[in-house]
Amino acid sequence: MTGYLRPATLDEAVAALAAGPRTPIAGGTDVYPARIVAAPDEDLLDLTAIAALRGITADAAGWRFGAATTWTDVIEAALPPLFDGLKAAAREVGGVQIQNAGTLGGNLCNASPAADGAPNWLALDAEVELASAAGTRLLPVCDFLLGNRRTARRPDEILTAIRVPRPEGRARGVFLKLGARRYLVISIVSVAAAAQFEADGRIASARIAVGACSPVPVRLPALEARLVGRRADPALAEPADLAPLAPIDDVRGTASYRRDAALTLVRRALAELAR
Amino acid sequence: MPKVSLTVNGKPASAEVENRTLLVELLREHLRLTGTHVGCDTSQCGACVVHVNGASVKSCTMLAVQCEGAEVVTIEGLAAPDGTLHPMQEAFREYHALQCGFCTPGMVMSAIDLVQRNPQGLSDREIREGLEGNLCRCTGYHNIVRAIAAAQQVMHGKVKELPRAAE
Ligand SMILES: Cc1cc2nc3c(=O)[nH]c(=O)nc-3n(C[C@H](O)[C@H](O)[C@H](O)COP(=O)(O)OP(=O)(O)OC[C@H]3O[C@@H](n4cnc5c(N)ncnc54)[C@H](O)[C@@H]3O)c2cc1C
Ligand code: FES
Ligand code: FES
Repeated sequence: MTGYLRPATLDEAVAALAAGPRTPIAGGTDVYPARIVAAPDEDLLDLTAIAALRGITADAAGWRFGAATTWTDVIEAALPPLFDGLKAAAREVGGVQIQNAGTLGGNLCNASPAADGAPNWLALDAEVELASAAGTRLLPVCDFLLGNRRTARRPDEILTAIRVPRPEGRARGVFLKLGARRYLVISIVSVAAAAQFEADGRIASARIAVGACSPVPVRLPALEARLVGRRADPALAEPADLAPLAPIDDVRGTASYRRDAALTLVRRALAELAR
Repeated sequence: MPKVSLTVNGKPASAEVENRTLLVELLREHLRLTGTHVGCDTSQCGACVVHVNGASVKSCTMLAVQCEGAEVVTIEGLAAPDGTLHPMQEAFREYHALQCGFCTPGMVMSAIDLVQRNPQGLSDREIREGLEGNLCRCTGYHNIVRAIAAAQQVMHGKVKELPRAAE
């Protein structure tokens, strides 16, 4: 029989992890499907009773998304256009029941190359907040995601929140994904973009990230640099901008199809930002 | 073994379960509420949908121990004690929204949550989108959408009686 703990405070949770290895669970929507045949045989740490881990708060510096915030919470929250992409991702994660249970933290810690949250966090320039009995540390999301199902989280750490800095001026986010059908499938390609605009509508800065085309989602620095000082326009994206991608062939699509689809989605994202 | 105590369909229930026991196993095997079905092992089909504290969830994707103190409603908890069906059940019958019936309990539970969360009313398209977590192999969904569109009118008090399906 396995050990199961459901603490009500973060202090108890990090103390439990300091005492020995345990698998954290939040919504369980990544944990259970992977194990339903061989049910979990390790000790579990259920994070869903820790109220402090759930919810979205904002201050002058930016926004803080508690790790146990669900996709439904994101859909229902009042957020500025910067988060239009994150909201679009939330509406298409797995269907209503998965959105009700699945969390932002679980999606990021699971570190699937196709996780729909990850490219959004890269486009939003987000940092993760990690807590252990030794204290709290902050890490940019690009340094947190190390590879397919690998993160910089130490076994004694809990992801407590994802933080997004407040941009200057008007900003907007976009997210587009391609799957064999709209829901209940793993993305073949996903693209998240976020831009800050000058008063005259030209782009002050932009971040564009592509998911499911490399072990971790990656940004497209050449394209991002080209966008500065211009109006968003699909024609600005070139095939060579996709050099950072390393797509694979699998049952969902070939590498060359993924590359092609990625360029199309990047261009659509730029068209969306131009509107 | 740990004991889990919760409310199921308005009545207190408790059972000794393993930590790894899923909510759907608690419902079907310990409490013998076999109306909640299991149709897959990937959390995709939605046959197992129940309400936990008012929200629809897949009961194959939640541990029983996680439901300590929770209010759970299953398909068995919808009809009134005198057997009067819930408007959603009535609409599924009236609009022939089931064939083999395997997906139906989950469909009905998802549909009720969807309608309750959208008091402004749902278009056919929004109903289809709201049902993306539920798969049906028989009906082609058309009559399910019609049933939900009709049931929402009753549930929101727009009409007293369920609109009849056209002959
Ligand atoms: C039918 C179905 C459809 C899906 N569709 C999509 C989709 O379209 N897009 C998508 O991106 N994903 C999808 N998913 C995957 C999953 O639902 C999401 O990634 C979800 O956000 C995971 O969150 P969770 O809380 O359920 O994670 P859990 O399963 O609880 O945890 C996932 C992993 O993260 C760890 N973990 C969780 N929280 C923390 C924390 N705070 N600190 C440290 N470690 C933690 C766990 O140990 C585990 O390894 C789908 C899943 C299913 C079953
Ligand atoms: S049994 Fe298929 S989703 Fe739960
Ligand atoms: S009625 Fe047979 S699966 Fe839906």
